[in-house]
This record gives sequence, C-alpha cells and structure tokens, in this order.
Amino acid sequence: MLAVKVSTVLGSKTAALNVKLAQALSSGSKGSVINNQELKFDADSATYFLDSFPENFDVGKYTFVFEILLDESAQEKLYITEAQTKIPIAATGAISIENAEIAVLDGDVGSVESQKKLDLTKDGAVSLSANHLQKLRLSYQLNTPLGHVFKPHQAFLKLKHESQVEHIFLVKTSGKKSELVLDFLGLVEKLYYLSGKYEIQLTIGDASMENSLLSNIGHIELDLPERPEKAAQPPVQPTDPYSRYGPKAEISHIFRVPEKLPAKQLSLVFLGLIVLPFIAFLIGLTRLGVNIKSFPSSVGAATSALLFHGGIGAVLNIKALSLLGVFLSFVGHSTLSHLASASNKLKSA
Amino acid sequence: MMNLSRSVALISLFLLPLLSFSFSVDNPTDRRVLVLLDDLSLKSSHSIFFTTLKSRGFDLDFKLADDSKLALQRYGQYLYDGLIVFAPSTERFGGSLDSKSIADFVDSGRDLILSADTSASDLIRGIALECGVDFDEDSSAMVIDHSSFSVSDGDHTLIAADDLVKSDAILGKTKIEAPVLFRGVAHSLNPTNNLVLKVLSASPSAYSANPSSKLSSPPQLTGSAISLVSVMQARNNARVVISGSLQLFSDRLFRSGVQKAGSPNKYEKSGNEQFATELSKWVFHERGHLKAGSLVHHRVGETDEPAIYRIKDDLEFSVEILEWSGKSWEPYVADDVQVQFYMMSPYVLKTLSTDKKGMFHTSFKVPDVYGVFQFKVEYGKLGYTTLSLSKQIPVRPYRHNEYERFIPTAYPYYGACFTTMAGFFVFSFVYLYHK
Repeated sequence: MLAVKVSTVLGSKTAALNVKLAQALSSGSKGSVINNQELKFDADSATYFLDSFPENFDVGKYTFVFEILLDESAQEKLYITEAQTKIPIAATGAISIENAEIAVLDGDVGSVESQKKLDLTKDGAVSLSANHLQKLRLSYQLNTPLGHVFKPHQAFLKLKHESQVEHIFLVKTSGKKSELVLDFLGLVEKLYYLSGKYEIQLTIGDASMENSLLSNIGHIELDLPERPEKAAQPPVQPTDPYSRYGPKAEISHIFRVPEKLPAKQLSLVFLGLIVLPFIAFLIGLTRLGVNIKSFPSSVGAATSALLFHGGIGAVLNIKALSLLGVFLSFVGHSTLSHLASASNKLKSA
Repeated sequence: MMNLSRSVALISLFLLPLLSFSFSVDNPTDRRVLVLLDDLSLKSSHSIFFTTLKSRGFDLDFKLADDSKLALQRYGQYLYDGLIVFAPSTERFGGSLDSKSIADFVDSGRDLILSADTSASDLIRGIALECGVDFDEDSSAMVIDHSSFSVSDGDHTLIAADDLVKSDAILGKTKIEAPVLFRGVAHSLNPTNNLVLKVLSASPSAYSANPSSKLSSPPQLTGSAISLVSVMQARNNARVVISGSLQLFSDRLFRSGVQKAGSPNKYEKSGNEQFATELSKWVFHERGHLKAGSLVHHRVGETDEPAIYRIKDDLEFSVEILEWSGKSWEPYVADDVQVQFYMMSPYVLKTLSTDKKGMFHTSFKVPDVYGVFQFKVEYGKLGYTTLSLSKQIPVRPYRHNEYERFIPTAYPYYGACFTTMAGFFVFSFVYLYHK
C-alpha cells in the first residue's frame, strides 16, 4: 500500500487537496506503469493512499511522479511549491532462484566433467577439483514474482585461496539465465599461479531484492602450473591485529652445566691412597730402628739444629721464600759443618 | 626602544597562557581542538557530538576549511592539541594549512579525526593515504550492502554495521548493543602497515560501487576488507581516526532507531552516539594512555642499584606503569607486561607480576654470559600507547677470588703435596740424627 502525507512548508496540515500519482517511471523500461491514478484520502491518518497496484507492477527501481492540485472547494490563497514531485521508490519483492548449478567443464570441448546442483539459500559443501585446462561454470536463473528475468546489481563469485588471496568475478545475466564461465587457462596469471584449495562464495543482492543472499557454495581444488620466475607475486595480506600484540614466549637462560666431577667419596678414597705411602714410610722407618740419637746436645748447636729444621718446615710452607733461603743457608752451614766435624772426630778417633 | 621592549613583553605575556593550556606529559588529554568544517551548518547538524566534546572540557574552535586565517602553529608553537576535519569536499584548505602541515601536526604527537562522506576530495584522500588508509578511487562509489542495511533505507546504502573491533581501550568497557549506522565511502587499509586497524568493518556481503549504475567490472573493495572506520596510532602515540561517513556523527543518525535487515531486533537508538563518544575519548587520549616510571633493579637483599652485575647474581627488577583515566593517573593492571634482559638478542624474557598498585616486578638470575646488557620493556597492547623503555647494565665474570677455594676432586693432589712435605721433614731429622 502506498501512503503519502502532504503538509505545508512549516509542517502543518493542509486544506483539502487532490493528490494524483501521475506516472510511475521504471528505471529499466520506458513508459509508465501507472498513469494518473488518484489517491484516496484517509481522514483518520491524514494520508492519501493507494491500496492496490496494477498487475504488471514488478520489483525494481521506479520514480514516482506526484501531482498535487488544489481541490475546487479550497477558498484561501494557497500555493503549491512544485507541480510535479518526483520521488525515487524501490519496489522490493522476493526473487526466486532456480536451476542453480556449478560444473567443471573439460577444455575446449566443453563436456561436463562433474556437475552439482546447488541450493543457494543455505551454505553447501560442494567439493570440486580442476586443473588449468578446465573451466568452471556457474549458472542460475533469477525471476521476479511476475516471472520476468531479474538482473541484480550485485552478483559476485568470490574465489578465496587458503593464503587469503581473493578474486572476484561478476556473474552476467543475458537472456533467460545468469551464467559465469571461468576459463582457468586464461586466468592462471591472474590467480598468481597459486594452486590449492579455493573457497567459493556467491553473493547476489539488489536494492529491490528482499532476499539478497551470500552463500558459501563449497570449495574447489585447483591445480595450476608452476609459477615462472617473472610472474607477479600475490599481494601481501594484512596481519591479524589481535595477533600483532601479545606477550612473547618466555625465555629463561640455560646456564652452562659445569663439567661433571667425580663423587666426593672417590676423591677421599684417593686421598687415603696417597697418604698411605707416607704412613708406610713412617712405619718402615720405625721398623728399621731409626733414631735421632745424634741430635746435638750442646745448646748452641741444638738451637741452630732446631732452627734449621724449623726453617725447612717454613720453606715447605712457602712463605717468605727468599729471606728464608738466605737465613737457611747460614744456619744450615753452621749445623752441617758441626755435624761434619763431629763425624770427622769419630772417624779420626 | 622602550616601546619595543614593552610590546615584546606584552606579546610574550599573552602567549604564556596559551602555552600552559596544551597537553603535557603530566596531563595527556588534549584541550584545544580545531574543528574544520566545509559548511557551518554542520555545527547544528552535528550538535550532539560537539556538545558532548565541550561537556568533557574540550575547547572547540570552529572554522571554515577555506578560512584564509587558518594556522596550526604560530612562532613555532602549536596552537591546538587536536584537529577535527569534517570537510569532505574541500579541495584546498585556507591559510597555512595543507596536507603536509597536517602530517607534521600528527608527527608532533597531536591527534586527528578525519571524515569523508559520499564525496571525498583529493585533499582528504591524500591526508588519509599518509595514515595508511586508501579510499576507493571511484569518486561516485558508496558502500552498498544488501544483507546488512538498515530497513529504513531504500537503496541499501545506509549500512547497519556491527562488526566492531574487540578492544576495551578503543570502544570502552560497555558493549555497543545497537548496530552503528553508516552511509559513505569505503576504504581499505594498507596491508603492510601495522599501525592501522579497522574499528568498524563491513560485512562479507558489502561492496563499494555506484548504486545508480550497473557494474561492468568487479569492484575493487568488497567484503570484510572494506573498513568503514579505522584508527591509526603512530609510533609517537599520536592517534588518528578516519571515517568514511560524516553522517555517522550527525544528530539525525545519533537519534534514529535502527533495525538491521534480516534481524528481528529493533533498537530505539542506534549505536552511533556511544560509538562516536567512546572513539573520541580514545583519540583525544582520555583512555588507553600509559606512562611508565623509571626501571629499578638491584641485587636480592640490597636496595641500591649496582653499577655492574656479576654473572649468576640474583636480581630483582621493577617498573611502575600508570594509566591515565581522563583526570588522574591510576595504577595500570595487566598480566602481560614483560621485561627482556637483552644483548643483541634476549637472554631472559619474563612476564612481570603486578601488585595491582601500578608496580610490576620480577626476579631472575643473571645469565652466565658477560657483556653489556639492557633491561628492555617493550609493551604494546591493542588500543594502548606503546611503551619502549630500556636501561643499560654491564655484567662481569667472576673475579679470581670468587671461585671455590678448595675443590674436593683435588684432595688427592693436596694430599700428595702435603705428604711429600711431611715426608721430607721427617727424613731431614732421621737422616741427620740417625746413629
């Protein structure tokens, strides 16, 4: 139902008027569908309405031309701003989609290799495969409620590769049906020679179509030849913004493991083994019956003897080596010469 | 002479207050905003948006885009902290403004809101291109979506979009329930630019074309690659919002109800006002702005920062991060701030734990590699300013007296040495005095 409200420039109610729909010009065809239809006035809602449209009023874009005339009964001085008011109207309706099918055709001959019927009202799971010598054909029929062929504004077939590279093709409508034939031989370069799984998505839409659709038909495995060196690289795809930021994996330093040393017990065992000969030496000495009998008894000689041995012990401690060395040589000489003279006395005596 | 010096003093006196009324490190929210319009009627048709900005304390300066006295800076100082360009059809700015001066404005750390509409002049496109945003080359194209339009619209160019970016910093904590109404041009983002991101994207069935003529070739921009509103945060933390629709900010769309085609939900009020208000809070640094104090590190058990560490030292590290709430600095709470101990590549990377009062801390062992290291905190989160802090510290190996004094494995060798000494000592007695 078409309802029209007429008001004064400032928005208040008007006097009695005669509103007529002079023409309904369709954007596609020439000529008007409706001619000089007068609209009835409904006092309750203060609108002028037209409650039925002619049989041949189809979906599509129209320009309604309204003519407003003053009713004969109007007395005051009233002026109408425009003789004819043109308003663009979109008449919408549900478009029927029939005979939708997708097929892979073989090379030049055009024989059908595999063909599948489609239900475009829901997503499908069609699985096709093709190589670069074959063609892909998609066809369907769009009809308005009155049965005429409908050409939608938007009819795209989108092929999306696994690497997110997308390609869009228009499905053209000619005659009775809409069809798209993709000849892969000519498209190899446009597809950047990317072989693999492509998702197929069909989008049909128009301003006058109440049931515009987007259908994920399925996927197709394309086998394309190898990329030659000079061919264009596929375009860079944007990174997902959510993964751009985010904590990185933690790193903890692996410290250099010190060389494996033998167990402490082993070292103590060997320490014992080392000390063993010393103990054996001491035992051996006592067995041999050593003594320290000829330790000098006179004080002077005894002192120097003690100092001599003390010096040796100190040397063994590796402290103040050089001074000790000097000291030791004097003291040592004195002791040893005393000993030598003692033994000489023994020998001579 | 006296007059000249007096007038110089007077001029500098006038300039002084101007200098104090700008954003600063301590108060990062912008204050003075220049609004460029190509038609002064925008002041009334977008009055709700401007009134909410004024009520939050912004000082708006409305000027026509071709006003010959336009200037962003005077005597080397910037006069404004933010710029709103609602002039989609202006070919040339007046005064000293051009796309280069606006690019310099953003380079200085200042913020920008740029909007195109159903028409976008080359000047606006050029400014957007500087920020990594490509508007559709076809000047008669608009965004059309036959599945996601508002039911009140006849030719499906008034889009009801609800594909918003998931970020509390950019869009606020409250979810925007109603779809956002949009009528304008499409743009796409440069894929190699990782500073831009889509805030409001189009649905997969959208495309950019002239609604009144048939398509002869596939459109350049389709589907979710179309961005309706994008933002860019530059490396110096300047923020830019680029919108393809000026009507998105208008009072008419703020107030209108919305029902998306195909959805039974009817909303009394569109999400436009909430969307525009939250976005303006983000772009003018009322939200999502972080500040970090200096990095503090010391050995476990000490409080002073040493001049040099030794390998295998245990150290503690902490940093203070604050978030600007619009009026004051609040402690920042997050669980993904990390620190790296870095020399050419990170040797240690640890997540910092927080005490919820703004201090983030952790402790670890210095690696056994010596050299000059850096403590690095590189923090980036969607919608927040990026933090990039570093502090250098050398690490030395063990001194000669920091090794173990006696090694148990060497006990046999010690034993050998000492028994030799003892044996010699005893022998010296025995040999001399044996009879």
